Amino acid sequence: MKKVDTGTIRFNTQITGEYRLMGLTVPAPFQESLPGQFVMLRIPGRDVPLLGRPFSIYSRYNDHDDTVIEILYCVVGKGTELFSRMTTGEEVNLLGPLGQPFAIDPGLRHVILVAGGIGVAPLSFLAEHYGTACAGSDIDITCYFGAKNGDGLIGLDRLERICSDIRTSTDDGSAGYHGLVTDLFDREVASCTDDTMVYACGPHQMMRSLAVLMERHPCRCQVSVEERMACGFGTCLGCTVVTKTPSGETQFARACKEGPVFDIGSIVWE
Amino acid sequence: MRKTHVDIGGLTIRNPVMTASGTFGYGEEYAPYIDLRRLGAVIVKGLSLKPQPGNYPPRIIETPAGMLNAIGLENVGVERFITEKLPPLRDIDIPVIANIFGETVEDYMRVAEILSGAAGVSGLEINISCPNIKRGGIDFGTDPDLAYEVTSAVRKATHLPVIAKLTPNVTDVTVIARSVVDAGADAVSLINTLKGLSVDIATRRPHLRNITGGLSGPAVKPVALRMVWEVARSVSVPVIGLGGIMTAADALEFLIVGATAVQVGTASFIDPAATVNIVDGIDRYLEDHGIDDISDLIGSFHTN
Repeated sequence: MKKVDTGTIRFNTQITGEYRLMGLTVPAPFQESLPGQFVMLRIPGRDVPLLGRPFSIYSRYNDHDDTVIEILYCVVGKGTELFSRMTTGEEVNLLGPLGQPFAIDPGLRHVILVAGGIGVAPLSFLAEHYGTACAGSDIDITCYFGAKNGDGLIGLDRLERICSDIRTSTDDGSAGYHGLVTDLFDREVASCTDDTMVYACGPHQMMRSLAVLMERHPCRCQVSVEERMACGFGTCLGCTVVTKTPSGETQFARACKEGPVFDIGSIVWE
Repeated sequence: MRKTHVDIGGLTIRNPVMTASGTFGYGEEYAPYIDLRRLGAVIVKGLSLKPQPGNYPPRIIETPAGMLNAIGLENVGVERFITEKLPPLRDIDIPVIANIFGETVEDYMRVAEILSGAAGVSGLEINISCPNIKRGGIDFGTDPDLAYEVTSAVRKATHLPVIAKLTPNVTDVTVIARSVVDAGADAVSLINTLKGLSVDIATRRPHLRNITGGLSGPAVKPVALRMVWEVARSVSVPVIGLGGIMTAADALEFLIVGATAVQVGTASFIDPAATVNIVDGIDRYLEDHGIDDISDLIGSFHTN
């Protein structure tokens, strides 16, 4: 039987500003975690906050006999504020790994990542996975990474070890291209053919802009969406995403079950 | 042998713990997490004559010790329920209660008739209390005459036990309760969610696309308990209590004030095994207190 598991905090450290990295020792089934999947994390024994919070898995590795997952997060509300105060040895409730992972295609030549802020988390895991699962192949990975400012370009060092090229942008011009990451992508990426796949995760606006750009590129593009969830396993129907069928018919999908990874063209970007 | 089974309008269930409609899908979603046979009954997501897409998102927002939802009764419709969702449940030894709703009395009757002919449905729960749909639902639950009319129509359309699910969004819930019992309801369940609102101060807009939503979770429990206590004293049929039950202790409070059974809702979102944990916790309480028959506990509340 699947169940709510316990994760033990190994570290919970500030990276820059409001960005933090949490490492959790987790039960063995989490070894199966794939890029794009998420976990529901909850502080045990509290009515406030009541619900778990969904977090993308940032990385997964083994340390001796321990299975470890890492969560990259930004303190944005009461839930994440409480997580930020937790320390090594404390326990969290954990449900997962949940949701559909990114599609991995070992036959590709180019992988392009488009990350906005904290959206870098699942993409970094994906890049690492391409590095290991497709080791020996000649896939090159380019990462377009945008943030509000230089402090928001979190985890660059990790990406630099895997990606052949990293192109950054900031809203305030404090690092990289001064402007939106989608504008940078549009200036530099002339045409993606079917030996390329684009993966994106970031704010709604970013992904909506990318959806428009991708209409000109005959290659596949997957995005990971973020929605409020109560359960994370398909029953609350709270995390609805408006999608469309190939024939244009509107349909609702659950971010937790059919997603959080979707083909960018299947989403109705409002 | 301790006796934990209870009777709901002729339907005997092995223990008093049911799932609240709308929080348990069609049962199958929970099969990886719990042995469904451990439950008293499964009440499935509200069913309508035709499939309903539900409301546009955002549909949920967390509030202090609770959550607001405006799902909008998204469901596969009664036909697909029978062909796709019911067969796997039928293979499990568990009473299935179908929650039903409609826009008109005729809708409710038709859904009741169709489900009454389906093997594997043990009871009907009439939803006259959803705050999140534009027509039907709660309109029937806030007016004693309409509540009577729809319950009476469903009563005539089925041989199955009929449970009327009541809304707390009324001045005096006992008036509605008496009305549905007069109309032939075999039991009542309460409370459905409390209508609420949450505002995003950054945008000055509602958090939910539907503007308002239904409040559930620990925040509503004292209100639910008070209403269950009031209704249990004013009707002679079994009362099924729900509203913010997270633990066995919460469930026991409802049983003590007179609920014959309970439903667990929001708790299942947080821990898919919440229902089974509550079954176990009730067992432990009965054992610890030397209670051999759960009916000795039900309604044992005293105020002096």
